[in-house]
Amino acid sequence: MENANTARALASSSARGQRAENGRAGEEYQKALKAHHLKRKAWLVLIHAALIAWVLVSVYPLLRIFSVSLRPGDRIVSTDLSLIPAGASFLSYWKVLYETNFLFWLWNSLIITCATATIGVSLAALAGYAFSRFKFPGHKTGLTLLLGNEMIPAAMLLLPLFLMIMKLGLVNTYLGMIIAYSVTSLPFSIWILKGYYDTIPKSLEEAALVDGTTRFGAFLRIILPLSTPALAIAFLFNFTQAWNEYLVARVVLTDARMYTWTLGLFELQGQYLTQWGMFAAASILVTLPVLGVFLYSSKWLISGLTLGGVKG
Amino acid sequence: MTGGAGAILGSILQVGHFVGLILAAVAVLEAYLYVHFFRYGRKWFLPAVILGAGAACFASLMLAPLQLDAGRAASAAVCAAMLEAAIALFFKYVIRGRWALPYMMLAPGIVGLTLLIIYPLLFEVYLSFHDLKLTTILHWSRTGELPFVGFKHFVKVFMSSPLSEVGFWQLVLRTLWWTFVNVLFHVSGGFALALLLHHKLKLKGLYRTLLIVPWAMPQVVAVLAMRGEFHSQYGFINVAVERLVSWMPLLASLGLQPVQWLTQHPFLTCCIINIWLGIPFMMVVILGGLQSISQHYYDAAAIDGASAFQQFRMITLPLIKPVLAPAVTLGTVWTFNNINVIYLVTGQAGGTEDADILVSALYKAAFTYYRYSYSAAFAIVIFLILFAFSMAWLKWTRGTESVYERD
Repeated sequence: MENANTARALASSSARGQRAENGRAGEEYQKALKAHHLKRKAWLVLIHAALIAWVLVSVYPLLRIFSVSLRPGDRIVSTDLSLIPAGASFLSYWKVLYETNFLFWLWNSLIITCATATIGVSLAALAGYAFSRFKFPGHKTGLTLLLGNEMIPAAMLLLPLFLMIMKLGLVNTYLGMIIAYSVTSLPFSIWILKGYYDTIPKSLEEAALVDGTTRFGAFLRIILPLSTPALAIAFLFNFTQAWNEYLVARVVLTDARMYTWTLGLFELQGQYLTQWGMFAAASILVTLPVLGVFLYSSKWLISGLTLGGVKG
Repeated sequence: MTGGAGAILGSILQVGHFVGLILAAVAVLEAYLYVHFFRYGRKWFLPAVILGAGAACFASLMLAPLQLDAGRAASAAVCAAMLEAAIALFFKYVIRGRWALPYMMLAPGIVGLTLLIIYPLLFEVYLSFHDLKLTTILHWSRTGELPFVGFKHFVKVFMSSPLSEVGFWQLVLRTLWWTFVNVLFHVSGGFALALLLHHKLKLKGLYRTLLIVPWAMPQVVAVLAMRGEFHSQYGFINVAVERLVSWMPLLASLGLQPVQWLTQHPFLTCCIINIWLGIPFMMVVILGGLQSISQHYYDAAAIDGASAFQQFRMITLPLIKPVLAPAVTLGTVWTFNNINVIYLVTGQAGGTEDADILVSALYKAAFTYYRYSYSAAFAIVIFLILFAFSMAWLKWTRGTESVYERD
């Protein structure tokens, strides 16, 4: 908005500057410029104030979890609002690491998530290429169905999936979880990868074909290596989806040793008053790496998510 | 610690075994397609694939774990051979080796989606017409048989309630209200923040990073942390209100007092938490859209004397629409289907039903009350509602146009 004001002010005042050579007009010009700068400064202060206010709202719950995790054992529950509590200690971290199954939960989540993301990205890398480069019967229908898949409520698929997993005897196993997760993010990953392949010029593969590779060879040796950023995005997307999942895990996993960290965390939080400190410590331990990876990669992740729309 | 190491090794082996099985299945699938796409012209093609399909079906049914008797296995094998004959003829005379690569690349994904999305959906339809509940589930898991009950469960969906206190139509209305309020605030809040961030600012990158923290945090942590802030005694909001009141007693007489958020206003609490969670996504999408609008438009408009509001209406809004429309469509569907927030805030044993929307009621009906067939019918009704709304919405906005028209 204030860019527009700048343009207008400069346009009018420079025209005035040219028109009049005497000192009065120059003075007027200086005055207009000064007023404009003042207005702009006031705007900037307001903008910064609004942004800082919302930043506080955004970050405050995380800071508060951090402060709770540092509280000493006898003051876990209090109405204290200070960021670093009096008598801060890492006792809660110690307790959550050595007195609960937290490390098991993390490991379970990690192995389920890695397997899921690997399967999902491999399938999506192949399917995305087919959608990007070939016009085959069912091309448009397939893409529409993939988008339409977003409409199916997760809770709707969960019941039949759970019954299937139960009948196969896979309750409380990694395999049951991997099966339940493996295709949930597949449609979205296919869209992300298709969008990225679309931006790679076809001439690259044509050159490779002239040099004597097969079409699939060109895909493996040229397109895949060029798509490393998009593959990383898709992997990350699959990874975070499975890593943060709660509802499916709650149905499939009932044994406390097999829990993923989301289930474990919910359990710690359930006994609000006694284990609040451990809950907070576990939350911080889980959140920091996720937050770091997400913020570091957010630029690419976001461009991947909005690719479909932005390029329209 | 040795126990831990053993468990870790065991789990790696287990998952490795599973991944190996998947790779083997993909290899078999691709070999099958290879023969059909590239060897359809050979003399041996038809007899070989038909006999092969029959033999493979027979062998797999005779072996563990199914171990059918020979007669049933043989009749199944004949069926498989006939099906394969039809497929082989189709490949030989219709497909004739065209589109081999795209279909072979798609095949693993299609099989995965069929087994884990399409088959479960069909199974759900089957369930909704039969009677599966706690009393029949043991019989079903042994024999696979269920009594057929027709439309009984669908009638029940409309006539009775999935929960104990809240009726079906109340849930529908609440879901619509939930979706509308959340999407409205997501978009307007996201738009406001994006417009603020679109200026030339110092520390812009830092603001942007900190503003997406709610989205970047694991949702379970974010929701549970926010839930803690709404606790009636120790949560930030009530503590802050109490301190304000004790500092300025005048405010208390104006009606400012601590509120039992989680028990008295669970729906409002869920809305606030979900709005807080959803704004960053919209902000980021809209900011991306704003950055793709060329500055020249604004400069030209400014020289023509357009006011800030006019520029917003005539330049920003129309140019941001292709970005905004798909994001709003997706956001609406996501909000409609969002169980996480409501379940994590109110889902504990004895939790309130005053915040439940359709999907969270569905989850409770299936996994808290174990009414399987009923919730299958309920799920199908929900899906149809969502489908009808999406069609109407797409017709109205042509929301995904820009997404489709890129091939």
